[in-house]
Amino acid sequence: MARAIWKGALVLGKSTLSVQLFSAVQDQVIHFRLLHEKDRVPVEQRIIRKSDGQEVPKEDRRKAYPLGRDEAVILQPDELAELEPESSREIELCRFVRRGLLGDQWFDRPYYLAPDKDNGDYFALADAIDHAGVVGIARWVMRKKRYLGALTSSDGYLIMTALRRAEQVISVSRIEVPATRRPDQRELKMAEQLMSSIEGDFEPQLWKNEYRGRVHELLDAKARGKTLKLVAPKRKPAGGDLADLLQRSLTGTKERKVA
Amino acid sequence: MPEAREPHAPVRAFWSGTITFGLVSIPVDLFAAVRPRRTAMKMVDAKGKPLGRQYYCPKDGTKLSNNDIVRGFETENGKMVVVSDKELEGIAPDKSRDIDLRSFVPADQIPPMYYDRPYFLAPSGKSTKAYHLLAETMERTGRVGIGSFVMRDHEYLVAILSENGVLRAETLRFADELHTPEEVGLPKRAKVSRSRVTALAKEIARLTRDEVDTHELADQYAASIQALAESKEKKGKDVVRLAGADEEEADAGTSNVIDLMAVLRRSLSPQAKVTTADQFDAAPSETEPSRRAPRKRPAKRVSTARTRKAPKKRTAHK
Repeated sequence: MARAIWKGALVLGKSTLSVQLFSAVQDQVIHFRLLHEKDRVPVEQRIIRKSDGQEVPKEDRRKAYPLGRDEAVILQPDELAELEPESSREIELCRFVRRGLLGDQWFDRPYYLAPDKDNGDYFALADAIDHAGVVGIARWVMRKKRYLGALTSSDGYLIMTALRRAEQVISVSRIEVPATRRPDQRELKMAEQLMSSIEGDFEPQLWKNEYRGRVHELLDAKARGKTLKLVAPKRKPAGGDLADLLQRSLTGTKERKVA
Repeated sequence: MPEAREPHAPVRAFWSGTITFGLVSIPVDLFAAVRPRRTAMKMVDAKGKPLGRQYYCPKDGTKLSNNDIVRGFETENGKMVVVSDKELEGIAPDKSRDIDLRSFVPADQIPPMYYDRPYFLAPSGKSTKAYHLLAETMERTGRVGIGSFVMRDHEYLVAILSENGVLRAETLRFADELHTPEEVGLPKRAKVSRSRVTALAKEIARLTRDEVDTHELADQYAASIQALAESKEKKGKDVVRLAGADEEEADAGTSNVIDLMAVLRRSLSPQAKVTTADQFDAAPSETEPSRRAPRKRPAKRVSTARTRKAPKKRTAHK
């Protein structure tokens, strides 16, 4: 069993529910180190003053908040400490919105919530969220930082996904496409046919990270003193008449099996 | 690697390649669809002099430049294997420059857990007809295309979606990058009391709204930092001039709103307007960045994210 990264209490109106937080993300990253090429020694990063290249120890470093193009204000450590939120174990559920109103761009890092004591209420909340078709918006303070999260249910379990802030999420207004660039009805119809010929369900288990596998192979081979044959990526030439390409794609998919 | 950032360098694509839909190819450039949080600060010394990061060799004490540095992987038995960028590029699958849309799935079928990072796709070819064709067809059918591609030494599973006539990509986690409830050790489902579900449903209904109020999703911490900085500025306290100090924590995968708008206007439509969810409109002043709320950060070079040996890129793989 994994270790909980944090314990807290979900607060919804008059109800309180003790929960544990587990990271839902499993690190599969291949960790490289930076080495000095000449002697293969892992490099060291130092913080230096740009004007004279001298190393600056931690106690002499400050943070400056940029205002405008080249002006900034130093925020002293005691001033920053004062801005730290008060520590708390409460996860406040302050709002619910219909599922789908928060788009993919908001979602950052997912966590599983596990019941700490009362299993019954945990599953009751997951059911209630599921039936209502909603997403809960939550706030909490964890390790001296404020978090904003979306509470959802999946297969009867509660999931909390950290959200990005409103200032970070970018959208583009609806664009008008000039008539000369718009596809015609026939092209649209063929595109829709082509799309429906390869439509399916989202099945993430079918997708494997092949490149990660190849990096592991490369590292294994090199560790054993072998070399791998390298291939340069090719670029596929694009071109041709759109309607013609769609037509040929449609004929093609009739025989082709789609992954 | 510390790199001088010009305040207004143009936004650069993270990745350029081709979306293939059947035999139809759509050349695109990819740009981040998130901005950095407005909490990022610059490193200075106590007197306000700019600081930066510098790599050294701990053995001989020499200052190292990008050219002196290679990537190494430590095997389980402690052996260090050196890997070159060329080798990592060489093992990329043949079609790594393509996002081959192999399946179209209903947009609401993707569990939010899978969402990783959002990007905008701008057409990069001469003709944009195929781009609009894909966007319009996906919007009509409510489906999103699924494919995978290799970008800067990572393979990504990706959903291509259409919003307001603009194509977006959301990179997705691979299934093996997410834990299952069993792996985490979540308990088996317990008996649920009907009356508790009803009571909780009532509380939920009381708090449910039909719209997202973005004020509730605002960055409170960023606002408090900005307020503090501005009040000190008014008093003339600790005000310094900044020239090329490095960010405290580099957040590579982000875009500048003004530059992004310029790109989309050029490639898509002169009317394209880029906004953030807090309604911050980048349109009015494209020349002189306003110094007041909402603060416009000096344009950050998206390209720094491409620096292979940037401090944060010690990891090369997901």
